[in-house]
Amino acid sequence: MSTRWYPLYQRGNPQLRVFLPNFWMKLVRSSVNQLPNVVQFHCSMEMTKHDIKNYLEKIYNIPVVEVKTRIAMGKFRKDVGKGYIVKDDDIKFAYVTLPKTMKFEFPNIFEKKKGDTEDDMKSLDEAKKSFKGFIQRNKDRSDVPSWFTI
Amino acid sequence: MNFLFNNILRNAAVISYRSHNSLKLYITAIQNITYIHTTSKHNNLMDFFDNKKNWNETNIRVGRAWRLDELRIKSNTDLHKLWYVLLKERNMLFTMEHECNRKVRLFPNPERIDKVEESMNNIETVVRERNTAYYTLETGETGERPVEDVVNLFGLPEKYPKNEYIIPKFMNTRWVKSYLEHGYINSLAVKKFYRLYQEKLRSIKRNERNRNFNHVQHLLKRFPDMDLEKLQAEYPEVDLEKAKRTKKARGHFLPKY
Repeated sequence: MSTRWYPLYQRGNPQLRVFLPNFWMKLVRSSVNQLPNVVQFHCSMEMTKHDIKNYLEKIYNIPVVEVKTRIAMGKFRKDVGKGYIVKDDDIKFAYVTLPKTMKFEFPNIFEKKKGDTEDDMKSLDEAKKSFKGFIQRNKDRSDVPSWFTI
Repeated sequence: MNFLFNNILRNAAVISYRSHNSLKLYITAIQNITYIHTTSKHNNLMDFFDNKKNWNETNIRVGRAWRLDELRIKSNTDLHKLWYVLLKERNMLFTMEHECNRKVRLFPNPERIDKVEESMNNIETVVRERNTAYYTLETGETGERPVEDVVNLFGLPEKYPKNEYIIPKFMNTRWVKSYLEHGYINSLAVKKFYRLYQEKLRSIKRNERNRNFNHVQHLLKRFPDMDLEKLQAEYPEVDLEKAKRTKKARGHFLPKY
């Protein structure tokens, strides 16, 4: 369950005694409407369905019913400036089905909080006030550039 | 409580402004907490996301990566645990980065990913060190993949990491044929390539020598009172006496040398 090569057989029979998987997975928002118990991931290209199941169950303690995977080829596109052809990386998608009782809704991370606009206004006011102070301090020497003064 | 637990795990990953026994502290913290920790109803898929208080932040402060010397004094168990902490942290950062890119937002402090990866690399280095030490002690060989010096198809020396063959070398007629019958390494094409390659290397060397000599002459022209010993130390191949006498080294002043 990792991308490393297993040690070759030699004298002393070296083995991986400490298991350090180096696979990565990232949870992404579903591109299409899915059942509430289906979660979409991007994962390492080397991961198999069994790997994904074990990864989630053992490391994240998430019960998994079924895993489906597919590999989406990266798009070929022309570079905007130079016009040469660029290929985006291929992505391995994993669709993980949780038990029926579980639901997962992708959280809205960039939700505006209630106090946000107030905070913005407050910082704007502060900036205005400090600018007024700056003008006040330097009113006698209007020809001196701002970077010269304190 | 689960939130607190996650918080501790996350902080232990990269935060550095702790003393050397930080991992010990963290382990004891885990032990203390596991007594009161109960499996929460909400699924742990939220481990893929950052703490809720960091969601709208523009600047998330973290410490530095784990250093080799700090990891060398840890036990294997500790390293094993720390690896999983870092692994989860990295997955979390990847998830957040992806979501930020999707929403066309700035991902706060992207260097966190580099720090986690550096820590993971350091852990691997330490584990590898311990493995080699163990196998050298037991068998007199490092348990690493053996590397052989071979001449490759271009006639150049190459380090070839060995791997397991499906059939023995001498039985693999297809592989042997190219070496024995065609004689890749002694073929005319390889010899020609090697000759031209050596010529290229020679010309690179010669150009560098000429460039340095030229540069030294111009330096002598512009700075006639320069410390010659230091100049010689900087360009050991250049013959200073010869450079002083050349036309290029003469400025618009009476020659000193």
